[in-house]
Amino acid sequence: MSLQQLVERALAGDPVSRAKLVSLFSDTRPEATFDRMEAEEIAQKAQKPHECAFVGCTGAPGVGKSSLLSALVTRLRKQNQARLIAVLAIDPSSPFSGGALLGDRVRMALPEDDSGVFFRSQAADRELGGLSPATFQVCRMLRYLFDLVLVETVGVGQSETDIRHLADCVVLVVQPMVGDDVQLLKAGIMEIPDVIVMNKSDLTPAANQSFRALQTAAVRLLRPTDRSKVTTHRASARTGEGIDDLAALIADTRSNTDRFSEAETYFFEKAVRREFGTYGLDVLEAQGGAERVIEQRGFYEAQRWFARQIVV
Amino acid sequence: MKTETSTKATSAKKADGHRLVDEDGAPGRDRPWIFRTYSGHTSARASNELYRQNLLQGQTGLSIAFDLPTQCGYDSDHAMSRPEIGKVGVPINSLDDMHVLFDGIPIERMNTSMTINATSMWLLSLYVALAQERGVEVAALRGTTQNDIIKEYLARGTYIFPPPASLELTAQMYEYCLDAIPKWNASNVCSYHLQEAGATPGQELAFALATAMAVLDLVRARGQVPESAFAHVVGRMSFFVNSGIRFVEEMCKMRAFTEMWDHITQHRYGVTDPKRRAFRYGVQVNSLGLTESQPENNAWRIALETLGVTLSRNARCRALQLPAWNEALSLPRPWDQQWALRLQQILAYETDLLEYPDLFDGSPVVASKVAALKEQAQTEIDRIEEMGGVVAAIESGYMKSALVRSMTERVRKIQEGELTWVGVNRWPEAIESPLVSGNDGGLFRVEEGHAQQALAALEQTRRERDTEAAERAIETLKSAAKAGRNLMEPSIACARARVTTGEWAGALRDIFGEYRPATGIDGQPLALENDRVETLRSRIGALTAARGRRPRLLVGKPGLDGHSNGAEVIAVSARHVGFDVIYSGIRLTPSAIVRSAIDEDVDLVGASVLSGSHLELAEQIMTGLRKAGMNSAQVVLGGIVPAEDHAKLEALGIAKVFTPADYELLDTMEQLVELLEARSRNEARPQNQKRPQNQRG
Ligand code: B12
Ligand SMILES: Nc1nc2c(ncn2[C@@H]2O[C@H](COP(=O)(O)OP(=O)(O)OP(=O)(O)O)[C@@H](O)[C@H]2O)c(=O)[nH]1
Ligand SMILES: [Mg+2]
Repeated sequence: MSLQQLVERALAGDPVSRAKLVSLFSDTRPEATFDRMEAEEIAQKAQKPHECAFVGCTGAPGVGKSSLLSALVTRLRKQNQARLIAVLAIDPSSPFSGGALLGDRVRMALPEDDSGVFFRSQAADRELGGLSPATFQVCRMLRYLFDLVLVETVGVGQSETDIRHLADCVVLVVQPMVGDDVQLLKAGIMEIPDVIVMNKSDLTPAANQSFRALQTAAVRLLRPTDRSKVTTHRASARTGEGIDDLAALIADTRSNTDRFSEAETYFFEKAVRREFGTYGLDVLEAQGGAERVIEQRGFYEAQRWFARQIVV
Repeated sequence: MKTETSTKATSAKKADGHRLVDEDGAPGRDRPWIFRTYSGHTSARASNELYRQNLLQGQTGLSIAFDLPTQCGYDSDHAMSRPEIGKVGVPINSLDDMHVLFDGIPIERMNTSMTINATSMWLLSLYVALAQERGVEVAALRGTTQNDIIKEYLARGTYIFPPPASLELTAQMYEYCLDAIPKWNASNVCSYHLQEAGATPGQELAFALATAMAVLDLVRARGQVPESAFAHVVGRMSFFVNSGIRFVEEMCKMRAFTEMWDHITQHRYGVTDPKRRAFRYGVQVNSLGLTESQPENNAWRIALETLGVTLSRNARCRALQLPAWNEALSLPRPWDQQWALRLQQILAYETDLLEYPDLFDGSPVVASKVAALKEQAQTEIDRIEEMGGVVAAIESGYMKSALVRSMTERVRKIQEGELTWVGVNRWPEAIESPLVSGNDGGLFRVEEGHAQQALAALEQTRRERDTEAAERAIETLKSAAKAGRNLMEPSIACARARVTTGEWAGALRDIFGEYRPATGIDGQPLALENDRVETLRSRIGALTAARGRRPRLLVGKPGLDGHSNGAEVIAVSARHVGFDVIYSGIRLTPSAIVRSAIDEDVDLVGASVLSGSHLELAEQIMTGLRKAGMNSAQVVLGGIVPAEDHAKLEALGIAKVFTPADYELLDTMEQLVELLEARSRNEARPQNQKRPQNQRG
């Protein structure tokens, strides 16, 4: 099958072609950049990108990110069959073998015969930041295929903040806590979200107490950017409490094209750092910085061009 | 099915030196435990005939195995049910089936034991409704519903609802039975299945005792059972335990169980009557260690395992059932069961075992071992309590992870020869067994055609019932569930209105939701590091570089089969050698697996099927992939697959078949990598004309 056919079929909604196309956007071979550029061109010619909103979902392991996404996707699909949704879920890779267990699907009770939803697991592959090296690239293509993309980050620690660069709206999921745990909220990760959801609100009475603590903490949040106020919500993936409100909130998220070009810069720089280290960053700086390089050459060409600069 | 061939285990003998004497001082011997045997059956009518036959031969108890759809709350005509109808037990769709199942059997005189869990309340309701329609006094019914949901999440797999809701149902059954059916055992806590899923003796002790406490704590917290009757509820608790090949340790484990339960019932629940503190238990001996290769050796294993639960009089089982020598090959044939039964008879009647008081009282070795086991178990119980109890430890995945870790550790020891497995990792060469060279290859065959009976009966029930009445009964059930009321009465009403198994469970699924427990494989290490592992990793590294992505393996459990050990071990090993592995736990539809294979664009689909439905399920997966145009994924299948089916599977397009004889994980991993390497060599990618020849200089 030619690339042309692959893209056309994917755009027409063929599940296998769609999946193959997504794989192309995570292919790590240098020559794949070419195919990607080509694929995006074909897609662009065929149609405009959807007004695709990116919503990130982050939070500690086991708080219920996947369960919540599952409930939300089901609700959002029910509300509007025309809205096509993709979910990317990222899991950590083993530092020893490089392999990963991609386990988020366990919680995804999605309707089997609904091809309006696409779910792909990605391995973080030793990348820091909570996403996989391919997440951003894949999202580029998803813009042509879906109306809404939900990204579940790796569920660890507080340095998983890359999602802020990608998403139009970041949802931080927490669960009812006892005592000192509430303190955790004040550190790093709390600076990222636009929305904080306390999931598992069915676990009363711990839920009531923590929710109050959470609201107090959220009010005092110092935000690095001046985006609109952080809102707090209660929800339960188990009982369905709060799912309607959250679904509405997600449905209202608008895609922000400025954000997307900022993301290009950020993830390009990150890729340079990953591949070529600080030396790469120096070279990039000497060429006027990531933003400039992309502006001049476009996203794909910039990558290829840069690789040529650095290899002697 | 378990059939009881002897009834009484209790006896009033006393110790007198090395002898047992009765009240008058006359020497005697103990009555043996209850002998039980498994037998499979396929429809309500066929089972009924079997029961009646057994009863004619003097048996007084019935033990009913249900098929997987009934256990999982699906009607026979549900898509998930088709391949499983009647395979491992009887299908029960409605009260009409119960009438057939018990046709001509005086239930008022039966002791009926049901191996049923998530749908326990429903089956008990059907049994009560049957009594009512027959005009039998409900209070006269006697029997047991297995009803231990915790071990379902951990090992056995026939769960439906989330843990809190499931435990509430169990508690409600205790409350109902207290007055309505005082001789009914509402539940039977099982550690048997935990050992089969890898549990160590300490884990077996801890998890089972913690489960029993969770049930009793809940009954007490609900406040529906009067203080004065609580000791009765405690006394109704019984257990179903495993006995492995390390039979001395197992014997000590049983003594530890007895002592710990005595302590718990006395101190936690204030039970003063020692009779109500007795650790009453039945046993099935270990089957996990029974092998496919040199299967005749299993007979010895079974005999030795039996010693663990019979040697010590103070911790002797009340009932015992034995697997058969061909356990790893297929369900047992009647002759296989007879052979197993003979072992019990020889032990009980030919040997002098039952003539002595406890042989180990006062042994410092045994006392010390028991103390060590108790300490391990107590540490684990404390940890679970600290986490907020069994429900929290299930939901966080802690208990399941602990089991998977034990299981992987066991498998690793076998690989490295640390644990000897005769005929497997030592002395594998042997003269071929004449036992498997008979006409039937030593295998049991399920008769065909019974599924049709179940489907026809279900259709008839639906056609003939008063639909409105059935719908009303379901609505009443739902509103009672929403209000948190006891659901026994509404369920009995449903039963009488000819509501079906799938409808009852479906209604409660709507209210309580469905639960999928943690798979326990996240972050599981495999402590296996050697040259072969390194070589595998670099081969996978080479594949990754050549193909621009790490090989992706989807491990899938299609159908209602709950045997997860194999899938878990394969998933953990595959990640260990460098695969990206997608594993979503048990009980997936073939179409869900196809869907995942496509969306995840995997290179390999590895289905694991031990239920005997591999042909149907493989067919469905292959058809699904083909229809969607997903040609790039190769499919392999592992599980209990008789030799003659291998060719059939290959004809369906399955690239490779694995069985328990393929216990060498690294061999299996190498074969998977070979499949990928072969495919990679002649792989075509979408062609891009503009792509330059040389990219990065
Ligand atoms: C352990 C066990 C259980 C445990 C399962 C615990 C768990 N969580 O897995 C428990 C006690 C819960 C159990 C319950 C039942 N069991 Co059972 N069980 C077994 C037993 C003893 C061992 C299976 C096992 O775990 N082996 C260890 C693992 C590591 O090996 P494995 O699964 O074979 O996997 C290896 C290979 O096959 C291969 N492989 C397997 N899958 C895959 C996948 C891929 C991708 C690859 C590459 C390789 C591969 O590689 C693996 C590693 O070496 C077998 C008999 C036997 N000795 O084999 C019966 C057996 C499978 N059970 C059987 C039955 C009938 C049942 C019940 C239905 C009984 C009942 N009536 O209630 C229940 C139902 C459970 C359910 N919900 O489905 C039957 C099945 C009959 C048939 N197929 O015709 C068997 C064969 C016993 C018998 N002879 O009757 N069981
Ligand atoms: N009581 C309750 N449990 C929940 C709820 N949502 C999720 N859970 C449970 O929490 C556990 C973890 O859920 P997941 O959805 O896998 O959480 P996650 O954040 O995606 O986890 P990772 O991807 O491993 O970081 C599971 O046992 C769920 O059943 C809820 O609303 N209430
Ligand atoms: Mg998750």
